[in-house]
Amino acid sequence: MKIYRVNMSDLTVKSEDVPEKWRRLGGRALTSAIVAEEVDPNCHPLGKKNKLVFAPGLLSGTTAPSSGRMSVGSKSPLTGGIKESNSGGMAAQQLGRLGIKALIIEGMPEGDKFYNLHVDVNGVKIQEETELIGKGNYEVIDRLSQKYGSKIGVITIGQAGEYKMSAANISVKDPHGYIRSAGRGGLGAVMSSKRIKYITVDETNGPGVPVADQEKFKNAGRVFAQGLREHPVTGQGLPTYGSNVLVNILNEAGGLPTHNFRMGRFAGANKISGETMYETILDRKGKPTHNCHAGCVISCSQVYNDKEGNFLTAGFEYETIWGFGAVCMVDDLDIIAQADRICDDIGIDTIETAVAISTAMEGGVIPFGDGEGMLNLIREISKGSYLGRIIGNGAAFAGKALGVTRVAVVKNQAIPAYDPRAVKGVGVTYATTPMGADHTAGYSVATNILKVGGDVSPLAKEGNVELSRNLQVATAAIDSLGFCLFVAFGVLDKPEVYQAMIDMIDAKNGPDAVKDDITELGKFVLTTERKFNEAAGFTKADDRLPEFFEEPVPPHNTTWDFSGEELDEVFNFVEEKNDYGKVDNKEMQKVNTNEMQYV
Amino acid sequence: MKLDVRLFAGLKCNNPELPCFGKNEFDLEVPAGTTISGLHNLMNLESKYPLINLVNGIAQKDDHALSHGDRVGIFPPVGGG
Repeated sequence: MKIYRVNMSDLTVKSEDVPEKWRRLGGRALTSAIVAEEVDPNCHPLGKKNKLVFAPGLLSGTTAPSSGRMSVGSKSPLTGGIKESNSGGMAAQQLGRLGIKALIIEGMPEGDKFYNLHVDVNGVKIQEETELIGKGNYEVIDRLSQKYGSKIGVITIGQAGEYKMSAANISVKDPHGYIRSAGRGGLGAVMSSKRIKYITVDETNGPGVPVADQEKFKNAGRVFAQGLREHPVTGQGLPTYGSNVLVNILNEAGGLPTHNFRMGRFAGANKISGETMYETILDRKGKPTHNCHAGCVISCSQVYNDKEGNFLTAGFEYETIWGFGAVCMVDDLDIIAQADRICDDIGIDTIETAVAISTAMEGGVIPFGDGEGMLNLIREISKGSYLGRIIGNGAAFAGKALGVTRVAVVKNQAIPAYDPRAVKGVGVTYATTPMGADHTAGYSVATNILKVGGDVSPLAKEGNVELSRNLQVATAAIDSLGFCLFVAFGVLDKPEVYQAMIDMIDAKNGPDAVKDDITELGKFVLTTERKFNEAAGFTKADDRLPEFFEEPVPPHNTTWDFSGEELDEVFNFVEEKNDYGKVDNKEMQKVNTNEMQYV
Repeated sequence: MKLDVRLFAGLKCNNPELPCFGKNEFDLEVPAGTTISGLHNLMNLESKYPLINLVNGIAQKDDHALSHGDRVGIFPPVGGG
């Protein structure tokens, strides 16, 4: 397989063999290893020294079920730390089948021209782009699909990216022409700083992904798929109701953040729930079940139509619905769907945008519950107005601009859809993950609330540091393999599904396989990321929640009561000598290249 | 004693002899001391998998004895994220 380096300073492309140290890495492990080794932790995220790395998961492009995730890595303009954000859609599998291990975009061109990249079996071509500048993602995908055919893969930024907003995401075309997103951390702004509007991927005549033992791989894949189909969450709940099935259970558990995190229950929960959404989709002849990449056996996505039965949005997720719903006190699913549609089109993270709007509501810009006002604020982002730029740069930025202190962020990234006082395991993850507040980084909700992979109380401290640590390690590995994180429901609950995952890795890598060193892979990823953040200036003080979480949240009236020492135990596997702030860049690079290779 | 019962993700009361038959959100009069599994049986709840029971927002096991006024949310296994 190859690594392509696209140098936007001199508009050249180089192809490189994959060095031994990166051969067994993919997805997040590879993007984080490359960023840690090649990006100055103190660089400006939107300057020429930052890099933007795309890497399909280790198994993406193979027949492994639900393995079509692509990682995008960089130094984040939102958090100032290392970032990996991953997405479904077509691109991961296409890049994998083209034999591309990673696409590294570096440098930046002089002047204000935009460019596009075209990736195919011959390599990567850089071309000047004029036609689609200023266009939204839906039009970009539509026009490129007309030009190249429906099978073309597209990775694109919308207007929010072009404006280099810190909440801008990178959008990826799915097999039906809809949009999936590498949502978090402002990577769309980094792509814009490199002056790239979109990347097209044509996988025709690609060599495919090498697999050492095809027979073993196929058999393990069959067991894995069957295990996911038979698990009630991945086989029934998610395909029927999508991730939005969570609104009601989080509401019942008192962990649905409402009114800018003042309450754990929302009176309008049932109106925006997965069950209501499912009935609405059926009534309007949408699709309750839809997959974001070929070969997904979970198919949690959906197509949501408007009242007239016309397409409105797809991939309508729980966190989006919570954000534009409960936290902003809006109980109209159609308004929330419009908000999702606009965010997908202009290319901005829905979680960050929703919490920024909740912050603006806190600051009196519009009242809580004002759905039309909320849509207008999102439209301001697409216009690039001063107000739009305040929202589009994220919740922390909006809080500063508006004099609001009740701002739900960690490391400047917005806290998502689970109140950390009522779902304490995920609170530990928010505080400590190198990504900034991110539920997916260690989804303790599974064990706290959904009772998958065990049962740890969501309201007490006991067991939640260990739970978050174990899930962060496992997640870092899953993100590196290219699997959708939802496979974890099966992997955590069923030993045969876990074993099938290990067997697929072994069968792909052959005799020098890493065996079941999933834990070591996860620890390698997290150590690499933590060290980058240390060198970028992060300290223990950055691993804490905002102080307003010391207030009790009804209905349980629990508070955020972890001490700093308790939170610092999460990363007890990172070596002592690498304490925060004590590792200079030179030493970090030595450690990364010589001691931390995952082999 | 009276319970505030909420059934989710496709669950419904399946006992035709109860006034809540076919419904998923209702108040229900039950004998004092009724446990969660007793409530499941009373409503003829059908599930291939263990159900999640939240009593006043806190997960409880099937042998938990319910009290007058309890809010009982019952879910099949669900997930997302």
